[in-house]
Amino acid sequence: MFTHPSAPPPTPASGAGAALTRRRLLRHGTAAAGAVLAAGPLSGCASPAAADASALSVWDLFQGGDGMLMDDMIKAVSAGPEGFEVQRTILDWGPSYYTKLAMSAAGGRASDVAIMHLSRLAGYAPGGLLDPFDLDLLAEFGVRRQDFAPAVWARTQHDSTVFAIPLDVHPFIVFYDKEAADKAGLLDSSGELAPMGSPDALLDAGKALAEATGQKGILFGHVTDTAQTWRQFAALYAQTGAAFSLPDGGPPRIDVDAAVRVVTFMQQLFDGRTNPNNLDYYGALAGFLGGRGGMVMLGEWELPTLKKSGIPLGAAPFPQVFDKPAVYTDSHAFVLPHQKNPDPARRRRAHRYVAEMVKQSLTWASAGHIPAYQPVLAEPQYAALDPQSSYAGAAEVAVLDPPNWFAGAGSNFQNRMCQPLQSALLGNTSAEKAVRQMVREADALLRQPNPVA
Amino acid sequence: MSATATPLRSRRRPPSAAGASSLLLGHGRLPRVLAGTALAVLTAVWLLPFVWAVATSLQSEQDAASPGLSPVKGALTTEAYRHILERGNVTVWAFNSFLIAGLVTLITVVVSTLAAYGFSRGTFRGRRVLLALTLAAILVPPQMLIVPLFEQMLLFNLVDTYAAVILPQVVAPMMVFILRRFFDAVPRELEDAARVDGASELRVFLSVVLPLSRPIVAAVAIFVFIGAWNNFLWPFIVTNDPDLMTLPVGLATVKDAFGIQYAQSMASALLAALPLIVVFLFFQRRIVDSVATTGLGGS
Amino acid sequence: MTTTAPAGADAVSGPAPERTGGLRRRGLGRIGRRGGRTSHGPGLVFVLPFSLVFAVFLVWPILHGLWMSFTDSSLALRDTTFVGFDNYAEAFGDPDVWSSLGNTVVFTALSSVPLVLIALAMALLVHSGIAGQWVWRLAFFAPYLLPVTVVTLIWTWLYQPELGLANQFLDTLGVGPVGWLSDESVAMWSIAALTVWWTVGFNFLLYLAALQSLPSTSYEAAALDGAGAWRRLWSITLPQLRRTTALVAMLQILASLKVFDQIYILTKGGPNGSTRPVLEYVYDVGFTGYRLGYASAVSYLFFALVIVVSLVQLRLFRQED
Repeated sequence: MFTHPSAPPPTPASGAGAALTRRRLLRHGTAAAGAVLAAGPLSGCASPAAADASALSVWDLFQGGDGMLMDDMIKAVSAGPEGFEVQRTILDWGPSYYTKLAMSAAGGRASDVAIMHLSRLAGYAPGGLLDPFDLDLLAEFGVRRQDFAPAVWARTQHDSTVFAIPLDVHPFIVFYDKEAADKAGLLDSSGELAPMGSPDALLDAGKALAEATGQKGILFGHVTDTAQTWRQFAALYAQTGAAFSLPDGGPPRIDVDAAVRVVTFMQQLFDGRTNPNNLDYYGALAGFLGGRGGMVMLGEWELPTLKKSGIPLGAAPFPQVFDKPAVYTDSHAFVLPHQKNPDPARRRRAHRYVAEMVKQSLTWASAGHIPAYQPVLAEPQYAALDPQSSYAGAAEVAVLDPPNWFAGAGSNFQNRMCQPLQSALLGNTSAEKAVRQMVREADALLRQPNPVA
Repeated sequence: MSATATPLRSRRRPPSAAGASSLLLGHGRLPRVLAGTALAVLTAVWLLPFVWAVATSLQSEQDAASPGLSPVKGALTTEAYRHILERGNVTVWAFNSFLIAGLVTLITVVVSTLAAYGFSRGTFRGRRVLLALTLAAILVPPQMLIVPLFEQMLLFNLVDTYAAVILPQVVAPMMVFILRRFFDAVPRELEDAARVDGASELRVFLSVVLPLSRPIVAAVAIFVFIGAWNNFLWPFIVTNDPDLMTLPVGLATVKDAFGIQYAQSMASALLAALPLIVVFLFFQRRIVDSVATTGLGGS
Repeated sequence: MTTTAPAGADAVSGPAPERTGGLRRRGLGRIGRRGGRTSHGPGLVFVLPFSLVFAVFLVWPILHGLWMSFTDSSLALRDTTFVGFDNYAEAFGDPDVWSSLGNTVVFTALSSVPLVLIALAMALLVHSGIAGQWVWRLAFFAPYLLPVTVVTLIWTWLYQPELGLANQFLDTLGVGPVGWLSDESVAMWSIAALTVWWTVGFNFLLYLAALQSLPSTSYEAAALDGAGAWRRLWSITLPQLRRTTALVAMLQILASLKVFDQIYILTKGGPNGSTRPVLEYVYDVGFTGYRLGYASAVSYLFFALVIVVSLVQLRLFRQED
């Protein structure tokens, strides 16, 4: 346990991890029991603040590699000369996290700081579930708006108020086996993946990689996944330059011809011969690790796993095959969940915590994420990170989900977009039908009354 | 487990068992062998998940995550338990579970017993209407109320407090019904004698009626406690702060930075299972009776 | 324990149980007596605490939920407007409402039948008096005492695709791995199996209690007739258990209709919505999707289902009598 039995040092306990000391347990428990029993049933009791007045409570959804890096970062910022005690809570990635976040914010006793995908902001900021950041306060701690890429910063606001401070940008990219890619003639003079430029070039690259590995070319796992085909589609669709927006009441504004072109291309690419069309997420990952393909399309967050494998690993932004450079990404950002009675001193500490954390994002980059705080990108240590630095440019052309309350990472929207796309890739439906189905699904979601407006 | 339970065996063998056996199975050998085999198989199937969980919890994470049909794949270690106890979450949640289930039981029993007695003996105006409403409410599944109850807690500003977890759980029309049926069957003569002696109604209730009803009150208390201890949905809805969560909610909601670790998840499951299993070993007869009486609605 | 003290304030200061505080005791006593003057018996005061929690935490939510179902009430902090029957109209046209109601009914069927039959078999076997009573009781009833998350943690591990006991066992038989929780056609069965393991002990105890209260006279008559064990089971024991069976089935069906916990924790209603019960749909649209008003409307549809099932059962139950 994180107890300091004798001579408590001036530095606070390293509170990373949801550790609770016996002392806290008892204080907390008896106070609560007393409140319930003595003051009558209607007296509220034992807010998180009462549990440990000094600890900053932070929520996130990182497990595994990311989870441990987050622990390291929290340890680093809390150990500083003016460190603070941090109580970290990790919830399951996806809808369960976002549901709890919304419910705690509605209840008004939310955590002090939480992580949120920027693509989800439209479901929280307009409904009053987040409190705004004080940019002056952040500037005091050395973090300013010009420190972030405009494409990302643009998504941190609602009604020109800033509700999120991005920690990273995490694009959907390609990883490749450098030896196989070299053999297939896909590398440029500097040993990086050469630009593609056309749909045919990517198709040819797949064939060349299949030949080079003697197995399959490009691997992509999507079966029963609730995000992967949407990421792939959104990446390619954004490259066509066509617009995609989700106006309340529907119908979705989507260029059906461009969407059909994209889905048709996806079907060509994952034809089931050169590039398999029936892998699930872990099947694709395991296939690439096992050398059964020369390239894999994944989020950059899989970097630590892939790096451990010993494959000569290359990485690149998702290849541009249509007219416009665009990379599908999302961004983990810090937000301040709504509190009914925020304590100004605590709020100040929350701001400092966020500022200190984004400055720690070099650590975060080792997981593959592109730091959103650009001063870190300029550091020589970042340039030395391989292959992270090869896709750092993705942040400049970042495209996120179209903003709407129901869209974003881990949302029902992505799940519903994935169903028809999956069928199309598996050959169970045509590209036209799949796109029509996507439009119908989006329309159905848009016709629901908007609960946050 | 077996060590604690052995004394029970000698004490608790139902006196009727031998007689019942001849009644159901007769004196033939074959039915007896068949029944014995079926019982052994069923018991093995029912115990297997426990055995597998215990074995996994006593492995290192690496051994637990290696394939094989044998549950024990490497050296035994209590590492997983040490990790869980060091992190402290399970201890906090167990404390919350005891506090919440205890208070829910206390309030429910007091409130329901008083009401049941009032309904059984009272002649005040509105009694019939209140009683009819209470009985009708047995049909209402509390689960359907999660949305308005959450809204109510928002209104009272109680989300993320113990009060919010406890209060909606203390309304138990079924328990009022069971207790009232019991009181209805208790003869009034004793009470009336006390009343003639000038005892107040509360005094009559506390010193005449309550001592007679100890078994049924205990049964209701046990039943309510088990229900509150294992309740998931409502505590899950109304607590977001991990420091306020009960065992089932905390275990299901809060994750570990390392991701899924099977030995540790089995260890925490078993630690969470322990309190009520131990209680059961000590109060087997009581608990069995309480489920039988309250479960059958007092009939 | 009856007191012979004269009527008056002193009557309550005798050897009363220590639990109640002096002030409160005297207050209640006086009110109780005042009620007693007009009619012998406890007054409204006895019913008051219950009535209070009943009104605040049951009646109020029932009525407020009904009101909410006619509004666009949201989890987000904004004003609510009345929308008439919009939510109900939407719910009737919402395929997810119907599929989740359907899943609820399927789960109820898949779980209730074995939960009644296996419980009966267990109770008969245990009641046959084979030595080791406490072992059988512990084995069959102990899972019922486990919090749901303990059950799901253990079974997630048993159902784990690569390392779990279930697939390891199939592997030794040379049968391919089964996606216990990831295969749409299997997941609901897996959940039903877990539920049977978890809760059968309750029904088992109800049956056991019923068996122990059966009169032994008819058995003695049958024994004299030389009826075999099977005959006795079919023509004496089971007919006498009809009422119990009706009751157990009724309680079980109502309990199964309310399924949420284990499904939410194990599959979140997946894969692809194939296991999502209606209560999870309420949670999903109400809390995950913020639409509390719409979720209230769906809750009332669920309530309608429960009421219909209850009334049908009561009717059948009455006919049995």
